[in-house]
Amino acid sequence: MSERIIHGRIDRSGALVSADAPLLRLQQRAGAGIGKPLALPHLARLVALAQRLQRDISRPLYAADDHSDIHALVRVLPDEEGANLEISDWRASAVTVPQMPPVAETAVRPRSWSWECDQQLRVVALREGRDAPPIPEDWEACSLSELFELQPDEEGGFPVLRALARQSSFEGQRVRADGSGDARVAMVLTGEPLFDATGRFTGFRGTAIVEEATQSEPNHVPNGGALVDPAFGSLPLSDPQFGRRIDGALRGPLSRIIATAETISGQFDGPIRADYARYAGDIAHAGRHLLGLVDDLADLQNIERPGFKAAADEIDLGDLARRAVGLLGMKAEEKGIRIDAPRTDDKMPATGEFRRVLQVLLNLLGNAIRYSPENSQIWIRVDREGDRAKITVADQGQGISSEQQAVVFEKFERLGRTDSGGSGLGLYIARRLARAMDGDLAVESAPGQGARFTLSLPARDVD
Amino acid sequence: MAESFSSPGIDLPSPTLLARLGELAVFLAAPTAGRLTEEQRALSLGIARRLVAAVADELDPGIDGDALWRDWLAAGVPAAERLTTVCFARAEEHRWREYSAQRVTTPIPLEGVEEEAPVASDIPSDIDRAYLALQIADRRRFDSYGNPCVAPADVDTGLFRALLLDIAAWRLARVAKDGKLAADLGEAVRAATEGRDAGAGIDRAAKAYHDLLAGQGKLADAATAAITRHDWVTVIALSAVAARRPYVDTALALLSAEAAVLPFLLAPLKLDRAALAPLEASLALLPGRAVSGGAGDE
Repeated sequence: MSERIIHGRIDRSGALVSADAPLLRLQQRAGAGIGKPLALPHLARLVALAQRLQRDISRPLYAADDHSDIHALVRVLPDEEGANLEISDWRASAVTVPQMPPVAETAVRPRSWSWECDQQLRVVALREGRDAPPIPEDWEACSLSELFELQPDEEGGFPVLRALARQSSFEGQRVRADGSGDARVAMVLTGEPLFDATGRFTGFRGTAIVEEATQSEPNHVPNGGALVDPAFGSLPLSDPQFGRRIDGALRGPLSRIIATAETISGQFDGPIRADYARYAGDIAHAGRHLLGLVDDLADLQNIERPGFKAAADEIDLGDLARRAVGLLGMKAEEKGIRIDAPRTDDKMPATGEFRRVLQVLLNLLGNAIRYSPENSQIWIRVDREGDRAKITVADQGQGISSEQQAVVFEKFERLGRTDSGGSGLGLYIARRLARAMDGDLAVESAPGQGARFTLSLPARDVD
Repeated sequence: MAESFSSPGIDLPSPTLLARLGELAVFLAAPTAGRLTEEQRALSLGIARRLVAAVADELDPGIDGDALWRDWLAAGVPAAERLTTVCFARAEEHRWREYSAQRVTTPIPLEGVEEEAPVASDIPSDIDRAYLALQIADRRRFDSYGNPCVAPADVDTGLFRALLLDIAAWRLARVAKDGKLAADLGEAVRAATEGRDAGAGIDRAAKAYHDLLAGQGKLADAATAAITRHDWVTVIALSAVAARRPYVDTALALLSAEAAVLPFLLAPLKLDRAALAPLEASLALLPGRAVSGGAGDE
């Protein structure tokens, strides 16, 4: 994150004898070049001043060419033979970014709130205007979508999500928020994007104005009428279009981010600094995690829809276990973990949706690999108990206490783990899928003795 | 100067005349020093008014803040000297941020230099949460109209108590002698002072953020990044804690520092000299700055 410095060298006669590309370009656009007198009057005056005083001076630099205005800070270091130039904070194309819009634009208006959030949509400011509903307590750092239950527009889209993807302003985002008592109040959000000096998007700032009452849409709606998921707050998970929208809005950009970051990280276009390559690797890793989260959210939206039912395929749990091992075997090998999978003649016929059962097994096996120590072993066993076909994944990890077992299948439960390993939705989704297939998912474990996750499904009799 | 004025009649010199004479005396004492601009005056006054109203509200929400300020402006603000530094520092900080934001441009990538992208984190880290808390503490330093203000939590206990007592005195004088009201107000002052979580504002948030960064050896990197982003609140906050000074003092020190002094002020952050360049540039471009030797170094 160090500041980029552009260097140049002036000889005793005031000619530019060497220059980094941006400075040279500017000199050339001013009709001069290397070996010619410095053609930037402001800079030339500073150089002459420093040479006359024989001391370092630092000043803001203003220059312009036919493309843009240049603002920078120049440090002139004179010596016997001329002077060295160090130019930093080089900025071109004076485009004013609405970092601090005039007060009138963001000021809270009657019957409105003003708000500001960071780039992750966490609220950092919330203020109420005259005659506005009281602002909710504990708004600090909660997500914008928790504070405001987003409502789709007429085209079924969410202006704030579109604006987030485009880092642009938005208006007309209809929301519902907590009003006084149990009532919900209908409001309309508008927002402007904020950027820092490096051009990085840093969040939104805007207003939430109470929507005028109409006959068909009263301001206050009962709490129970909203499609609110207790874990996701305002995200309308029950809206069948939501999954498709979030999928489309996020998957494409994320895939591009991951692909680009992997290209940089792999140094396919030539060598770069090792720390830059590492950063790119981090970006790719974070991108993959986000993509996984998108998958999980899409799954969650799907399975939580009323009436969700999995297909009843004829499956073999032994076969599925071997497929899962085939997919994750490399990952286990990286940690020196040996997987003891069912042999090819180990069959366990059952009824369930093929891809959903594979998804559950991949989740269980992935967790086992993630939380197992290096050079340990994982067992996958299949067996039958009455009318239930069972498959068990057991590891030698640190195990799960009985208190943790009680919550391990909750949404976003990560058992206090703060690594980057998952969204905390995997086991919740896995159990929901198992139950949707008339089965179940259970855990047995004790601290220090590893964990055993058992998926049970209706057994299938084969003649 | 007031002592040298001899009134020809029996009337005492008016506060206005005294103020003018005082202003002239200050001017004569330092003729080359830059003067307060209208913008600086208006910002500082507004901040003082909002602070007084906020403290009055903590004392008794029934107090008419507008009437209080009108009376104080006519007769002179009782805690004027103590208010000056905190209000001027906040005003100058606001002015710096506004001017800095207006100059923000979209950088064009330099040839041959890879663009650095922010690294997303999966789960908010302690540092991330502390930075968020710092942002929230900062946004509490704006009123509901987006104007800069000083949060009562950011005022030192001495000034807070002085303001409470002055406001209580004004309230008492306004409603004439009332023994019960006097007792109630006394109790309210005591409750407001004791119930106050001193330093709960930006100083505490700054310390939490600084300590987490320092504990993980990321202080210099974070400060450098903040300078690059022109995130001046973070720069002030980190340098304040590193130098063990209050946020308000550090803001004023930075805003009135010559360029040559900046490396010394920020020395506890152990930054590269080159990393200070954007800070130097931004301060140098702020007009009317109260640096020694004039009203701004450019």
